[in-house]
Amino acid sequence: MEEEKLKKLFSELAEKTTEAVRPGLGDEIKGQIPHRLVPHRKGLDTINIIIDLRISKLTAAAAIIITMILCANFLGGRASTGGGIFHDGVLMMRYFLTGARVSESDLSAARLKYEQLVGQGREAVYYGEGIDRQDSNAVLLHWKVSEGEYRVIFGDTREKTLSSEELIKLQAAMLQKKSK
Amino acid sequence: MERRQESLARRLKAGDRRAAVELVDIYYERIYLFLRRLGHSRHVSEDLTQESFLQAWRHIGQLRDGAALNSWFYRIAANASKHYWRSRRGKETAGIEGFETTGGSEGGDDKAAKLEDIGRLEEAVAKLPIKQRQVVVLHYLEHLTIAEAAESAGVKEGTFKSRLNRALKSLRTEMGS
Repeated sequence: MEEEKLKKLFSELAEKTTEAVRPGLGDEIKGQIPHRLVPHRKGLDTINIIIDLRISKLTAAAAIIITMILCANFLGGRASTGGGIFHDGVLMMRYFLTGARVSESDLSAARLKYEQLVGQGREAVYYGEGIDRQDSNAVLLHWKVSEGEYRVIFGDTREKTLSSEELIKLQAAMLQKKSK
Repeated sequence: MERRQESLARRLKAGDRRAAVELVDIYYERIYLFLRRLGHSRHVSEDLTQESFLQAWRHIGQLRDGAALNSWFYRIAANASKHYWRSRRGKETAGIEGFETTGGSEGGDDKAAKLEDIGRLEEAVAKLPIKQRQVVVLHYLEHLTIAEAAESAGVKEGTFKSRLNRALKSLRTEMGS
């Protein structure tokens, strides 16, 4: 069929496929106009895009987290666990979903820190996998800062400088728990 | 026309409610017919028209300039249609509910032959895959330029043209010439 004939047929089809719209539809739509038409705030754009794409919240969360890790790795803002971006993403997802207090990534980061400290010739002790993962006060790593002062990383990744007496108390509590 | 669209877009972005009413007046019939031509039933086309406007209120911030208003709105409607087909995959066939034709009974053999041709073209368009049907409707039935139609379909002009060519080839084959 020639181009011209087809175009003519299309324009006639356009006419044929015209029908009256139900009366009242326009008014119904006008009734749905929000009282305040507010353009997107930048921060909400990502969320709205996710809603528009109609992907599940879990997939969306994974996408956001992996993007954040990618950015962090590229910008050097955060040390990776060494297991690669996907592994990091999985660890973070598990952390957020299960609410686990001490995740594998925390342990890896603490171990890395410990190795660095030892490499620098500092007095450091790493408690590793042996700590109670449910106890946020469990000491994961500590190192000597000055005479009688220790920097401590707890199971929930908090950091605090403690005196030697305070550290001993914490260690004793950990031992007691373990012996039970 | 372009200037009017530009001013309308500017007012919409500023949150002017009267501009929103104007947008409804300009587009609601066009969008309804666009959705009907894509093969949706009357009821679904009404729902999707409303849905398109709801999406438009939410995405006013994405309006770039006046010239893009047309394609911006068609794109919203095309997306609403796409999501609908996706959610109903395999449950509905396009073009089941015919249009309410006006007149057409008068005239001789020529008129009858032409009507037959138009009917065959309508059927052939309804048989096209959704993406190809969309480009044909946007360009030939909604009379958007290639640039506008490509933006509405969310593809580059080159992709749009090749999709359109494939669609025309299928239509010619289907119509037996």
